[in-house]
Amino acid sequence: MSTQRMRTVDGIRLTARRELVERTRRDRSFVISTLVTLGIVAAIIFVPKLLGSDDPTEFDVGLAGPASQPLGQSLTAQAETAGIRINLQQPASPAEAEAAVRDGKLDLAVIDGRELVAEAEPNEQLGLLAQAASGAARAQQTLQSAGVPPAEIQAALAPPPLPVRSLEPVDEDARSKRTIATVAVFLLYGQLIGYCFAVAMGVVEEKSTRVVEVLLAAVRPVQLLAGKIIGIGLVGLIQLAIIGVIGLVIAVAANAITLPPDAAGTIGSVLLWFLLGYAFYSSMFAVAGAIVSRQEELQNTATPLNLLMIASFFIAFSSSVTGADSTLARVSSFLPPVAPLVMPLRIAGGDAATWEIGLSLAIMLVSIVAVVLLAARLYEGAILRTGARVKLGDAWRSGRRQPAAGRA
Amino acid sequence: MLELQGLTRRYGHVVALDDLSFTVRDGQMFGFVGPNGAGKTTTMRIVLGVLEPDRGEVRWRGRPVDAETRRRFGYMPEERGLYPKMRVRDQLEYFARLHGLSAGDAERAAGYWIERLGVAGRAGDRVEQLSLGNQQRVQLAAALVHNPEVLVLDEPFSGLDPVGVDVLAEVLAGRAADGIPVIFSSHQLELVERLCEAVAIINHGRLVAAGTVEELRSAGGERRYQVEVAGAGADWVDGLEGVTVVEKQDGRVVVAVAGDEQRVLDAARAAGRVTLFSAVQPSLAQLFRQAVQA
Repeated sequence: MSTQRMRTVDGIRLTARRELVERTRRDRSFVISTLVTLGIVAAIIFVPKLLGSDDPTEFDVGLAGPASQPLGQSLTAQAETAGIRINLQQPASPAEAEAAVRDGKLDLAVIDGRELVAEAEPNEQLGLLAQAASGAARAQQTLQSAGVPPAEIQAALAPPPLPVRSLEPVDEDARSKRTIATVAVFLLYGQLIGYCFAVAMGVVEEKSTRVVEVLLAAVRPVQLLAGKIIGIGLVGLIQLAIIGVIGLVIAVAANAITLPPDAAGTIGSVLLWFLLGYAFYSSMFAVAGAIVSRQEELQNTATPLNLLMIASFFIAFSSSVTGADSTLARVSSFLPPVAPLVMPLRIAGGDAATWEIGLSLAIMLVSIVAVVLLAARLYEGAILRTGARVKLGDAWRSGRRQPAAGRA
Repeated sequence: MLELQGLTRRYGHVVALDDLSFTVRDGQMFGFVGPNGAGKTTTMRIVLGVLEPDRGEVRWRGRPVDAETRRRFGYMPEERGLYPKMRVRDQLEYFARLHGLSAGDAERAAGYWIERLGVAGRAGDRVEQLSLGNQQRVQLAAALVHNPEVLVLDEPFSGLDPVGVDVLAEVLAGRAADGIPVIFSSHQLELVERLCEAVAIINHGRLVAAGTVEELRSAGGERRYQVEVAGAGADWVDGLEGVTVVEKQDGRVVVAVAGDEQRVLDAARAAGRVTLFSAVQPSLAQLFRQAVQA
């Protein structure tokens, strides 16, 4: 039995490997959290379908009274061009029509060609179609009584549709990409907050059980910190990849989205930005763990970081609602705390210019280096101090005292 | 040979260690004793590089200790440190590998120490499922698993049952017999006296006394004897030069003698029939109290 000389990277690799093995193979919570997240993803995909909140393509319309009949023909014709099917019904009286609307048997009733009755606000598209049909029916009657030949009326009221010329190429996959990216932002946020918090918990665990003292007799603080962050990050990455692939398979199988040809690119960019966001946040969470001695105190020190992450998530989420091309989205792509959540959305939607991606990446990488260096020093200064919460200033000052590479 | 030279460490305004120096030879069982807060734990943390001294250094085999050397030290901290959710065998293999053992060696070493320290039945259990005594055994295994060149153990005996104490004492004696310096702190002074070849007593961060127990006993140049002379009372001892009476009780006298004790024996025999003449060995506990109160 002989001890081999250890390189810095060996210490990091061993600690990272421990995190990976303990958290995936030895801990059931990995499997459980993977399944729960998959359940949430499935819900995001299926719930809109179940609730029928997708635009309906079929309506039941009742025509009460002879004066409503012309409107009915016109409505069917116009709806057909919009790809909507109208089932016309003939209620015996206005009162019966109203009752049918109230019971939900009819989406809309036309009373004597003068009035539209809906249960509440009518479906927007159906309302517009009915109003247009009413106009067309009125015009037809007027033209007919003026003696205009039916062929001319037809030509005037139903001209062939105008051709549309798009100035920018149409991205038929935009919707699918946007869906993937929105789900991705949710996932990213969940993974970031979950795994960054796991780093903080792991640090406190080592500190509160004092195992850190045994570890630091063998490895330097920076190796321990790097190994922990890398190991836990790998666990998060593996889980994200599992969820991403299975989620896509479910979504495609359920016809919720059609797989765009560059789906791999979208997933790749989500994973890349997860790594960047994790690198940015995790070392700060490690400091939040290092300055306290008990897990209960962690809530206090991690709260500012959680708030920063929640704010970033809302900026990303609102920019996905308002359109990823908004000023908010553009500006926040260059803010390191927000960029990891906003950029994958903008890239998936095809809204980010290449220079924007490049600049955002550059800012991100520089701030990661700065944050990691700062965090490493604070971690070193705080990790062996037990008892009261360590002030950041004290941690900074004593960060230099710990044995550094090659120093006795 | 492990040398501690002029170690000084402050925490804010509190001086935890003040110019502390002593030496532990290869193969020596070395007891490190002192009242609570004397600086024992700080000293051990500095030896292991967990803490950096303000001044002074630690030398091993004549060279200043660096991170690479320390990796070949074995350490058991006062506040026990193990991953509560990690399994015993996994944990020991991990520590062995952190100290530079190959995967195969780590597996063998973990298996050996699990067996040797009597926790083989619990090797697959999480540490938190073990009794405190068994956790302590695992902790010791963690200090030994990489076959260290130096052993530094902070209160290794506290919390062990008598059987555990015997197992641990035997293991430590075995390591010392292999030529390894074994330094441990303890408040169980009878145990230290029984096991250790040499001790250091510290108080308020300073070395009060160091050496073999025998050296500590003769430190003042005086030795104590108790003498009993049948039917002669105790007055025969009065007026003997270089002899201080410590205690007189019925016919028995305890005296502190500087120089030749045979003079005392002669005086006693002159007084009557000597039924008892023996050296009095102050226990380490007594020496400790004297040293710390001085």
